[in-house]
Amino acid sequence: MEILSSKVFILKVTSMDLKKYNRYPIVLFALSWLALVILPLLVVVMMSFLKTKGIRIKWDWGFYSYMKMIQFGGNDVVFQTIRIGLTVTLINFLIAFPFAFWLAKTLKNISFKLIIFTALTVPFFLSPVSRVIVWRSILGLDGLLNNFFLNIGLVDQPIEWLIFSEFAVHLGLMAQYFPSMVWPLYLSLSLIDDETIEASLDLGAGILRTTIYVILPLALPGVVAGVIFCLVPMLGDAVIPQQMGGGNILTISHSLSNYIGSRSYVLGAAIASIVLLVLIILIIILWFVFKPYGGLGKVFGQMRQ
Amino acid sequence: MGKHFHKEKIEMKKTTTPKYFYHHLDRRNFIKVTGSTALITGAPAILTGLTRVAHAAKPNVVRMLMTAPTMIPGDWSKFEEETGIKVEFEVMKDDVGLFLNEVLVNDAGDRFDVISALAGSEQELIDGEAIIPVETAQMPNWGGMTDDLKKIPYFIGDTNRPDGTVWGTPLAMNADSFGYQSKILGEPLPPEEVSWSLVFDDERTMGKSATGTYVYYFSECATYLKGAGLADIKNPASMTPKESEVVADYLIERKKAGQFRSWHTTFDDQVQLIKNNEVLAIRCWEPAVKEAQKAGMTDFHYATAKEGYMKWMHGCYIPTQAKDRGTHEASYTLMNWILSGGYAAAISPLRGYVSGRPDLGAQYAKQNGLGDDVSVAIEEAQAKLVNKFSHEDFWFIAVPEYLEDMQGQMDRVLAS
Repeated sequence: MEILSSKVFILKVTSMDLKKYNRYPIVLFALSWLALVILPLLVVVMMSFLKTKGIRIKWDWGFYSYMKMIQFGGNDVVFQTIRIGLTVTLINFLIAFPFAFWLAKTLKNISFKLIIFTALTVPFFLSPVSRVIVWRSILGLDGLLNNFFLNIGLVDQPIEWLIFSEFAVHLGLMAQYFPSMVWPLYLSLSLIDDETIEASLDLGAGILRTTIYVILPLALPGVVAGVIFCLVPMLGDAVIPQQMGGGNILTISHSLSNYIGSRSYVLGAAIASIVLLVLIILIIILWFVFKPYGGLGKVFGQMRQ
Repeated sequence: MGKHFHKEKIEMKKTTTPKYFYHHLDRRNFIKVTGSTALITGAPAILTGLTRVAHAAKPNVVRMLMTAPTMIPGDWSKFEEETGIKVEFEVMKDDVGLFLNEVLVNDAGDRFDVISALAGSEQELIDGEAIIPVETAQMPNWGGMTDDLKKIPYFIGDTNRPDGTVWGTPLAMNADSFGYQSKILGEPLPPEEVSWSLVFDDERTMGKSATGTYVYYFSECATYLKGAGLADIKNPASMTPKESEVVADYLIERKKAGQFRSWHTTFDDQVQLIKNNEVLAIRCWEPAVKEAQKAGMTDFHYATAKEGYMKWMHGCYIPTQAKDRGTHEASYTLMNWILSGGYAAAISPLRGYVSGRPDLGAQYAKQNGLGDDVSVAIEEAQAKLVNKFSHEDFWFIAVPEYLEDMQGQMDRVLAS
C-alpha cells in the first residue's frame, strides 16, 4: 500500500513537474510562430481585400482584387498549377513507391545503396536554375536528344515540344521532386517488419493484395509526407515552369512575381491568399481521408510501434 | 524505503518521459538556443545594416546605385585620377517595383550619393521627394548636350506642366527593338528598316520567334499594331484598359496560332535562345545580339524597326539625403564625368548604348587611340540618336497610369 501510494505520488509529482517545464517553451514557440508566420499571412490576406495606388495603400475594402484576378485569368492559372502539381505528384508516387520498396527491402548491397543515396542527394548542392538549365541542352532543337533522333533517322525534323511545353514542365518537376517523394517512402517502408509481408504472402495474398492491404496502409505516413513534400513546394516553384515551359505555361509563382514587379500588390496578395486557401483545403481533405484510420495522429503514431 | 522510493522515481521517469527531453527542454535552454540562433542568423543582416550606413559617410568616396547593363565593369582608376574621388557601385536588378521599394521605402538615399533611376520612374521619385533638382551649372558637360536630349521627359519633371526644373542627367539610353537572322529570313541589314511583324506575325518565323513576359514588351506589340494600322492606340507606353485588351486579344490569337517559341524573362534567356538557334526573330536587348555576334553568329542583327522602338534612358539623380549630409558635390562630379568622353567611349562598344555626350566619346576615342571598333561604335551611337530616337513611338514609362491592367492582360496572354 505504501509502495503503491508512493508510486502514485511520484507519478503525480513527476507529471506535474513535466507540465511546468513544458509549458513555457511551447508558449514561447507558439507566440513566435504567431508573430513571424501567422501574422504576416493574415496581413497578406487583409491586403487582398484592399486597393493600392503604386506603393500607397488605399483603405478601400472589397473584392476588387479577386474580381480583377478572375478577369485576367488568374483562376485559370491557379487551376493549371494545381492540375500540374497533382499530376506530377501522382506520377512521382507511382514511380517512387516501387523504387523506394526496392531500396528498402530488396537491395542488400550497402555500397550500391550509398551510391543511390548520393545520386539522390548531390543534385541539391546545385542551385535550382543550374539543375534545370542543363535540360535545355538536352531537349532543345539543337540539343542532344534531337540530334540523336535525327542521326538515327527516327525523325526528319527536330521535335519542338521536348522543351518550352507542358511536357517539359512535367518532366522538369518530376526530376526535381522525385527525391522528395522517395525519401519519406523509403523511411516508412524500412520500418515495416519483413515478417509481416512474408506472412501475407504465405497466407495466399498475392503481391498486389499484399501491396494494397498490407504494405500501403503501413507505409501511409511516408505516402502522406511524400505527397506534402512534393505537392506543396511545387505550387510555389518559380524556376522550372519558366525555364522548361519557356513562359508558355504560367503558374502561380510567376504570376505573383509579375504582379509584384508591376506593383499590383493587392493582385499579388489575392493570388497568395488563394494558394493559402488551397493548402487549407488540402489539410482538410487529408483529415477526412485519414479519419477512418483513426486520424493523422494515429497513422503517424503507428510508426513508433 | 527511501532507496526503494528513489529507484521507483527513476523508473517512472524512464517510462513516462525520454531522459534527453526531460533534461534538455527547459525554458532556460530553449531561450538560450533561440536567442543564439537568432543572433547567429541575424548577424550578417545587422552587420550589413551597420556597414551600409558607414559606407555613405566615407570621405572622398561616391556611391552609386545602378543596374548591371549600364555599369562599366572593371577599372575606374581614370575617374579616380582625374577627380580624386573613389567610386563604388552597387548593382541591382532591372525591376521597377524593386527599385522604387529600395529608394522610397528602404531609403537608398541614406547609402548612395547618386541613384540611377529606371527609365520612367522619375515622377515617383519627385512625388516622393526622394531626389533634388540638379544645378546644371555644376556640370560643364551638360551644356554641350543637344536640346532634344535636355528636353527628354525623364528630366523635366511633370511633362504636362514643365516648369524648367531639371531633375537628372542622362546615364545611358537606347532604342530597343528586336534581333533577327538576316540571312535565313532574307531580310536587309541595318540601317535598312525591317518590320516588327517578324516577331509577331510572319510565316517565316512561325514557332521560331520570341518575346518577353515583361509587361513593357506589351507596348511593343502595341507599337507594331499602331504602326501597321491594325489597332487604334494613342500611346503604346501608357494604354487604356480597352487598348490593353485589344493588344492582349491579338497576342492570344498569335500565341494559339503557334507564332511564339518562348517568352523569356531574363537577359540570359535571350542570349541562350539566340545562341541555341531556337529563334529566328526575338524581342531582346541589344547586348544579347552583341553576345551572339561575339559567339560567331554574325548574321544575327539588331533591327532598325519600321514601326517604332521602346526608347528608354536611365538617368542619374541626386537623392535628397545626399544634400542633407553634404555629399552632393561628389554626386555632381560623378554625374559630370558620366557625361564625359570616358563613359561614352566605354558604354557604346560594350552595350551599344548611347550616353548623353557621344560627341565627347568620339573625341576621347581619337585622343586616346582606342581603335577603330570603338570609333565605329560611337559613330553608330550618334547615328542612332538622330535616326531611332526621332521616331514618335515610344518613350518608355515605368509607371503608366493603367499598369495594373496592362500586367493583368499580359498575364491573360501568358495563361492562354
